[in-house]
Amino acid sequence: MTETLLELKGLEVTFKTRRGTLKAVDDLSLSIKKGEILGIVGESGAGKSMTGAAIIGLIDPPGRVSAGEVWFEQERVDAHPERLRGRQISMVFQDPLTSLNPLRTVGDQLIETILVHMNVSKSEAVQRARDGLAEVGIDPDRLNAYPHAFSGGMRQRVVVALALATEPKLVIADEPTTALDVSVQAQVLDLLKKLCRERGTSVMLITHDMGVIAQTSDRIAVMYAGRLAEIGSTREVLTNPQHPYTQGLMASTPSVDAKSFGKTLFQIPGSMPKLDALPNGCAFNPRCNQVHERCRTERPPLMSDRAACWLMETAS
Amino acid sequence: MHRFFDSDFFYAFRRSPIAIVSLIVVVFMVLSALLANFIAPTNPFDAASLNLMNGFTAPMEPNAFTGETFLLGTDDQGRDLFSAILFGLRVSLFVGLMAVGLAMVLGVLLGLIAGYVGGWLDTLIMRLADIQMTFPSILIAMLIFGVARGLLPAELREEMAITVLILSIGLSEWVNFARTVRGSTMVEKEKEYVAAARLIGLNRWQIMLRHILPNVLGPVLVIATITLALAIIAEATLSFLGVGAPRTEPSLGTLIRIGQDFLFSGEWWILLFPALTLLALALSVNLFGDWLRDTLNPRLR
Amino acid sequence: MSFVVAKDLCRTFDLSEPWIVRKLTMQPKRLLKAVDHVNFEIERGTTYALVGESGSGKSTIANMVVGLMQPSAGSITIDGQNLGNASMNRQEQQRLRRRIQMVFQSPYASLNPRWKVGDILSEPMRAFNLIDGATAQRRRVAELLEQVGMSETDAGKFPHEFSGGQRQRISIARALASQPEVIICDEPTSALDVSVQAQVLNLLKSLQQDFGLTYLFITHDLAVVSTMANKIGVLNQGVLVEEQATVDLFSKPQQDYTKMLLSAAPKIEFSS
Repeated sequence: MTETLLELKGLEVTFKTRRGTLKAVDDLSLSIKKGEILGIVGESGAGKSMTGAAIIGLIDPPGRVSAGEVWFEQERVDAHPERLRGRQISMVFQDPLTSLNPLRTVGDQLIETILVHMNVSKSEAVQRARDGLAEVGIDPDRLNAYPHAFSGGMRQRVVVALALATEPKLVIADEPTTALDVSVQAQVLDLLKKLCRERGTSVMLITHDMGVIAQTSDRIAVMYAGRLAEIGSTREVLTNPQHPYTQGLMASTPSVDAKSFGKTLFQIPGSMPKLDALPNGCAFNPRCNQVHERCRTERPPLMSDRAACWLMETAS
Repeated sequence: MHRFFDSDFFYAFRRSPIAIVSLIVVVFMVLSALLANFIAPTNPFDAASLNLMNGFTAPMEPNAFTGETFLLGTDDQGRDLFSAILFGLRVSLFVGLMAVGLAMVLGVLLGLIAGYVGGWLDTLIMRLADIQMTFPSILIAMLIFGVARGLLPAELREEMAITVLILSIGLSEWVNFARTVRGSTMVEKEKEYVAAARLIGLNRWQIMLRHILPNVLGPVLVIATITLALAIIAEATLSFLGVGAPRTEPSLGTLIRIGQDFLFSGEWWILLFPALTLLALALSVNLFGDWLRDTLNPRLR
Repeated sequence: MSFVVAKDLCRTFDLSEPWIVRKLTMQPKRLLKAVDHVNFEIERGTTYALVGESGSGKSTIANMVVGLMQPSAGSITIDGQNLGNASMNRQEQQRLRRRIQMVFQSPYASLNPRWKVGDILSEPMRAFNLIDGATAQRRRVAELLEQVGMSETDAGKFPHEFSGGQRQRISIARALASQPEVIICDEPTSALDVSVQAQVLNLLKSLQQDFGLTYLFITHDLAVVSTMANKIGVLNQGVLVEEQATVDLFSKPQQDYTKMLLSAAPKIEFSS
């Protein structure tokens, strides 16, 4: 068993609105081990991006982290999460243009990041920046190019280089390939995975795409309406999903398979509830095809460290 | 109606003291202007009721000759200043509202056309707007005012003065409406609901007026409020310069001009009270407009 | 002859600087060939999918087929009638327009936010003089809403009161309101969550069976059309590189580009 790098204990993110307080993340506990790639999957409104933002203190009012603890390398860090930003934890966002300054060359941005966070000389920083670009498959001589000179996929590679330049221990990648074409998406994912494996960097990969998660991560956490629905190793979750939501999510994802022509896709009825209208009990109960009485009144806790579903109880 | 009181908009309103106070002042002034006939103790334009002996009565002091007391004093003609202000407020508000209405209709239509049709029409309209923007709008208004007066036969000048005033202020303030509407129209026309409307064969006017117009009106409301303050001040400026509302139908600006003559001879109230009224009106309209802008559309800032 | 025929379809975009700038800087005109001699045919009652990545020209083709954009060259015929026929009068144009409708990508931008759902759905009926009278229109609106799995009472609500999936259903109902024969689906599910995407795809499929609709389905995601496309055309930079029946395309792709697309598509299976 390898060491735990990051641990969330009962994390709660709330938004105060005039109609009451909404829980965007509700009692979330999970951990990431050193060198591990944890995939967080969920649909829009599941709270997955909020989780990533909460860890590094990027939640803006009226939202706030209202309960829970964040532990990083056995230290409690939720009081000053911004101290970890950049050096220990870096981020990759969906839109490369939010992480790159369009008015400065990629080289300037790489070198500055390295100089700010690492104790190295200027010439060494330049060398590291060149190496970083080379690693993500970009000609180091393009150090002097501006972000707009790169295509979308190349830009995202630059962002990956930027995220890894400070040798962080954790990279939080929030929908890093959603804006990219499929062909480019595969390349960027492979790259991220390869580089993090080589350095032993942990990754929290946040996405709505089960396929992306399946191909990249070691463990999968499934979120629904701000809560953790299921968590487990990629093998366990993909081959033997426990939560009916996970099962439905997988079954309703179409695949490039010659056999699927003419078939009807499995569908989950309804849509994710709004945070101000969560049902009692299990948040998934109105859409669940295996719902029973208890689900409508009592919220299931995470059972056997696997799934938050009352079915787990009857099974064991 | 219930929906309105439950809206975010109303919630934001309730929590903003500035918005509440400025709206109360505006509503109070509009009501007093509307009800001027009933509130005013005298009719300041009825020459028969004026008593020259009452001239220059200071506020709340009995007149030395007649013993009458006036809330805000009287002017040189013995006209009750409080009544004159109420009626002047009516003229100022009427001119302001009509001018803004004219500017709004003109600006919104031109902006819609420029934004939706594009091409040389867009270039023509927006260059015109650019040229107009290089002059202060009060100058434009004076120019239009002068030309219009020149074209009118002399006997109609007094009668048409208010209409000409509305026309000149209205024509000088359309640019902001047109620019904003053009911008929002260019955003809206790329949206798919417009494509859907084109697919069922609607013509340009139907698309512009039925589909796009309702979606660009939010900022127009904000600009209209802010322009109202500008129009009221423009009217006062023109009247103060003597090219606006005539003495027979004095607006706040006209009253200020009259009062100015007596400022240094000690009759300060003739200037002060109309000026304070104008200040309160323009300021509260403006503050309310600012609040509307911040609430409805922070991007316009 | 097939129901929808696109013949030698071309579309170039002029990306040049304004004339005066071009002359001053001595630049040539910059033309982009977005669609380059594309041919395809769609049989009545079937689904044809055009698949391509960004910049492949797939949306340009969609816009040309519904008549929102004119082809630079080539022609589109629907049931033997040429879309670009300039001699049509307004009535004939309207008759042809009614037969071709579109479901758009964005569930947010495709419905006018200031209109109630009932008005959105009855507008095509008025535009094409399909149903007269407010009561009859209301009845038809209710019927349409039911056909897309929503309820009659939804007619009185505004678009923002619905989720993305429900809005896409309303968008489909609006297309159906014209009683069309061909519907162009332009990435109708790419903005939706997976669990909702399946609902919309299944709905489109069952409507096709009920009304004998012909679909042109534009997508970047091969998997999305795996259950319903009879034929798939793969577009790359404006050129149709491969066209096969879906089953064949998935099992024996001919072109390298198609193979790359197939292998790059993320799969939900445990591999390690």
